[in-house]
Amino acid sequence: MKNFRREYLILSILAVLGLILLGGCKPEHRFIKKTAFKDINSIVITFAGPVDEAWAKNISNYSIYEKPDPDIKLKIGQVSISPDKRTVVLTFEEDLNQDQPHILNISEIISEGKSLGTAFVKVKKLYFGYLFSILIGAMIINNFVFAKYLGLCVFFGTSQKKSTAVGMGITFTIVIVFSAMMAWFLYQFVLKPYRLDFLQIVVFIGLVSLSVQAVDTILRKVNPALFKAFGVYLVLVIANCIVIAVPLILADNEYNGWESLMLALGAGLGFLIALFLMSSVRERLDLANVPTTYRGLPIAFVVAGLFALAFMGFSGMSIF
Amino acid sequence: MDPVLIKMALCGLAVLGCIGLFFGIGLALAAHKFAVEVNPKVEEVLEVLAGAQ
Repeated sequence: MKNFRREYLILSILAVLGLILLGGCKPEHRFIKKTAFKDINSIVITFAGPVDEAWAKNISNYSIYEKPDPDIKLKIGQVSISPDKRTVVLTFEEDLNQDQPHILNISEIISEGKSLGTAFVKVKKLYFGYLFSILIGAMIINNFVFAKYLGLCVFFGTSQKKSTAVGMGITFTIVIVFSAMMAWFLYQFVLKPYRLDFLQIVVFIGLVSLSVQAVDTILRKVNPALFKAFGVYLVLVIANCIVIAVPLILADNEYNGWESLMLALGAGLGFLIALFLMSSVRERLDLANVPTTYRGLPIAFVVAGLFALAFMGFSGMSIF
Repeated sequence: MDPVLIKMALCGLAVLGCIGLFFGIGLALAAHKFAVEVNPKVEEVLEVLAGAQ
């Protein structure tokens, strides 16, 4: 009986969530089904029914601007309409900045001789896609170790054994997410309102040491074995540049909470990937016949350089 | 000196002081809650030993 009730509860919560999501997906005008960016300089509008061709071809029926600058109207080069008259493609003279949402104003839509009123629609990239691209960007494309050469001291210190490397990566991810979220909160809601953003470095350093100290205290009690395995490296997280670079980047780009979370998570997971790859190679290097002069750190640097070269293959990529 | 700047500086002192106090108390509470019992004999023995290094 109890189990049955719990399933019921979960189902109803899911149903409510689904309803909210569906409600959130509702377009702004009932006759416009979808608007989306296409290529670098055009926008596709899909209507629910066929529209009047002469109306659709008239450029003066459309006006569009980027959301932050309503008085700068973008110039439309040409309008083309599909054979079934449901899809209109607006091509612009200049490339669109697709990171900004665009507001499109379509005046007096005419369909089958009837006027359906004026529509204001927002054209934007899928927000989840944007978040995902921040995550993947920080994790792989701009990997903090291999593309930005940050955090190398901890990277070489803890990548000798796979088990330490993975443990270090996970602790690092926890610490960085924790401190980046606090940094975001303090920057947006304390430092900026009081115009103290010139003190950001001081505050961020304090936050990083605070979160490291907190993890140190808690881990010592909760998981002494892991704590012993980290040894000095847990404290070394303070000296890791990535952990201070992430708050500075998110303050610089004015990221909101979700974007900051994705950046921090990406940085942490990227560091975990880097550590894992490096430790797998170094475990094998121990068995290899390396010339005496190169044994130890020198060959590790060479391997890191090769990894960086391989990661250069991702550079310039963009997702969505 | 511009009074606006002085106000900003004082504001900064107060805000940063509050942040520091808040997190300091938080850390102290966490340290209290997650305290690890250390055998007092360890410290006594270490004190008796010659601790040059």
